[in-house]
Amino acid sequence: MSAEKPDAASLEASMKRLETIVTELEAGDQPLEAALERFEEGLDIGKRCREILDRAEERVRRLVDVADDGSIRSEDLEGE
Amino acid sequence: MQSADETVYTVGELNTEVRGLLESEYPRVAVVGEVSNCRKYSSGHIYFTLKDEEAQLASVCWRSTASRLRVVLADGMRVIVSGRLTVYEARGQYQMVVDSVREAGRGDLQLAFERLKEKLEAEGLFDPARKQPLPRFPLTIAVITSPTGAAVRDVVSTLERRWPCARVLLLPVHVQGEMASGEIAAALELAGRARDLDVVIVGRGGGSLEDLWAFNEERTARAIAACPVPVVSAVGHETDFTIADFVADVRAATPTAAAEIVAPILDDVMGALDLSLERMARGVSTRVRLMQSRLSELVRSYALGRIRSRIEQALQSVDYHTERLQRGTASALEARRTGLNALSTRLGDLDPRAVLARGYAICDEPTSGRLVSTARDAALAGAMRVRFSDGNVMTEVKGETE
Repeated sequence: MSAEKPDAASLEASMKRLETIVTELEAGDQPLEAALERFEEGLDIGKRCREILDRAEERVRRLVDVADDGSIRSEDLEGE
Repeated sequence: MQSADETVYTVGELNTEVRGLLESEYPRVAVVGEVSNCRKYSSGHIYFTLKDEEAQLASVCWRSTASRLRVVLADGMRVIVSGRLTVYEARGQYQMVVDSVREAGRGDLQLAFERLKEKLEAEGLFDPARKQPLPRFPLTIAVITSPTGAAVRDVVSTLERRWPCARVLLLPVHVQGEMASGEIAAALELAGRARDLDVVIVGRGGGSLEDLWAFNEERTARAIAACPVPVVSAVGHETDFTIADFVADVRAATPTAAAEIVAPILDDVMGALDLSLERMARGVSTRVRLMQSRLSELVRSYALGRIRSRIEQALQSVDYHTERLQRGTASALEARRTGLNALSTRLGDLDPRAVLARGYAICDEPTSGRLVSTARDAALAGAMRVRFSDGNVMTEVKGETE
């Protein structure tokens, strides 16, 4: 059921990259064209991060098993 | 059938009589044993069980005595208590009313705890260098605990409230009793094999030293140490320390605290993201304004003036997008993106340095700074400043040619 799962490491890396871009743009010492490229990249990162953060995950599930390839099988918690 | 001389008591009468017997027979007695299930009530009274391998004795220490005790009673402590025996009639339970306590060496559990702690410490299992950092933004979180206790509710509700974008997976286990450490170790091993798992919380609510024992067992400790995913331990209350806490990558004081350590607050992260985008937009518009002032230095003629009005439009567009960014609506993101995309292309076309770099030059009259755009003007001027992409030169006009 977990079709595509963004991973925590890439989210963290994206947020870090965004911080770097902000610092660079505020310093304002690259050529304009490069600055605009950074800006573009920053907007893309912002959009992707927001998509991840906007997800509302389903309620807690029970981890049933982990396959050989490391994929997780989970099920609804019975009752509650 | 009841014989004539048999006395029939009420329960209350019997308990009162037994109490009288006990109190007169044991007005003062000393007992050695291990403290367990020690509870301090807000009233100031302390209730605990004194026990050894074979038996248990309910004990109570009233507030007036408790405040005078020279030792702080704690589970696992081996003590000699003195006091009197009595019966708590309402429950028909006999108990010891303690009036003094002294230490009698450490209890068996306490000794086992310390031996294991020393052994694992010597192996380097508590080494700070072994500790894995927790991810800042965990998206899949495993919780290993009892599915019925307060701990699981505390952890899950805290995670859902702070960080609803994460997937939370429960691995239900017994957290006390014979099977507990085996189940906890197996759950850790299973979680450790999952590909997309970011962090594991393992723990339970408070209890006596016996209740927490599964978290003091070697099997649990080694499974935590071996887990490739960062592990946060959350066993009992603030004051309970277990071997699991020493081995875990991070020790949380309570299950709720573990969830708070693991999960950031979504609104904070969103806010930081918005702020970054806003600062970025402001940075770019400052850049474009700088560009404008450089351009206005160069651009004086009518022909270039037309470009200037386009630049001003571009600047306005940046202002517009900056403002929208500051309003911070998610839906504006795509609009900004395309708007700035177009702007980027346009500004690239306009950059006068790009024009100069292609081999063109700008001539002006050095004293007035007026642009020289015809051969006739040049002949009249006599001398000109010529601007290239990398600097200026002064020239003298020798005359017109064909």
